[in-house]
Amino acid sequence: MSKHIDSEQKLERALTQALKGLPLRQAPSTLELRVVGELERRAALPWWRVSFGHWPAAPRVAFVAVCIALVAATILGGVFAFAGDRSFDQAAALVLSWVQPFLAVMSSAGGVATLLVRVIPPLWLYGGLALGIVLYVALFGLGAAAYRTLYLRPSSVGDDL
Amino acid sequence: MRAYQDMVFSTAARLAGNDTQAEDIAQEVFIRAYEHFSDLRTSVTAGGWLKTVTTNLTLNYLNRYRKRWRFFSEMRPATEDGETDAPEMDWEIPDTILAELSAEQRCAIVDAALRQLPDHQRLPLVLYHFEDLSYQEIAIKLNVSLTKIKTDIRRARAALLPLLQNGGAARDTLDG
Repeated sequence: MSKHIDSEQKLERALTQALKGLPLRQAPSTLELRVVGELERRAALPWWRVSFGHWPAAPRVAFVAVCIALVAATILGGVFAFAGDRSFDQAAALVLSWVQPFLAVMSSAGGVATLLVRVIPPLWLYGGLALGIVLYVALFGLGAAAYRTLYLRPSSVGDDL
Repeated sequence: MRAYQDMVFSTAARLAGNDTQAEDIAQEVFIRAYEHFSDLRTSVTAGGWLKTVTTNLTLNYLNRYRKRWRFFSEMRPATEDGETDAPEMDWEIPDTILAELSAEQRCAIVDAALRQLPDHQRLPLVLYHFEDLSYQEIAIKLNVSLTKIKTDIRRARAALLPLLQNGGAARDTLDG
């Protein structure tokens, strides 16, 4: 074991010495031309073809203003269409009449769940919870096995990065 | 740009192990540098900024091809493909490697050898030996466990040694 560690340390030292101070690779002569060409190509794009962050200030402000106006118009349009010639109180009461059944269903479901927790023995609850976890893990394992068997090519196993 | 293009290209090429990809990455690095030109022009740390951006862009570039299946592939046991946690090195470790060659010759042999390593060995090895990052920093940068990084670097060194020795021997034969 000690000999093995010594060998590793010796290899690390030897490689460090071999790799340190190596000269830089020379960049291809085409690199500078490529960069300049790409910068020119991007500079030639009209402002609406580049990302929003690079838009001129005036179009950015106008774009945000238009978006806000559209959202406000949509909301206000919906409210006016819904309210029609009703007063605010009537419209609010109508909305509440739609929401109340939903709240009642949720409240009933909560009551049933509470009742079940009280009636069912705790052992059953814990057992059911454990079974759910086991099934979840089994499903996950099956998915992983299927992925490795059916999708992952043998040559790519090991290329972890 | 001329002052830094070799450094940027070298960093990308050694990490990516592919000159074509390295040139693409170097191009993107300099375009980003151009976008930050007002900050970099007077900065004394422009070189460091370029190196960091190059490293991160290269890792992002390589990440695109591994994200889909990395999670499942990392679930495999380490011995599945014949590798062990601690690679045995039953050959003689020399005190020096390629020491008799010129820097340019060593550079060519090292770069050729690095290209033959798989990504998961080359990346941590280059970050450790060329970028002077610690194991912990490499693990964070690559989003991989510290144990795996140490194992991969050990395996990379063990794989690199015969490649360098063979490269050196071939160079000696050609020169001789």
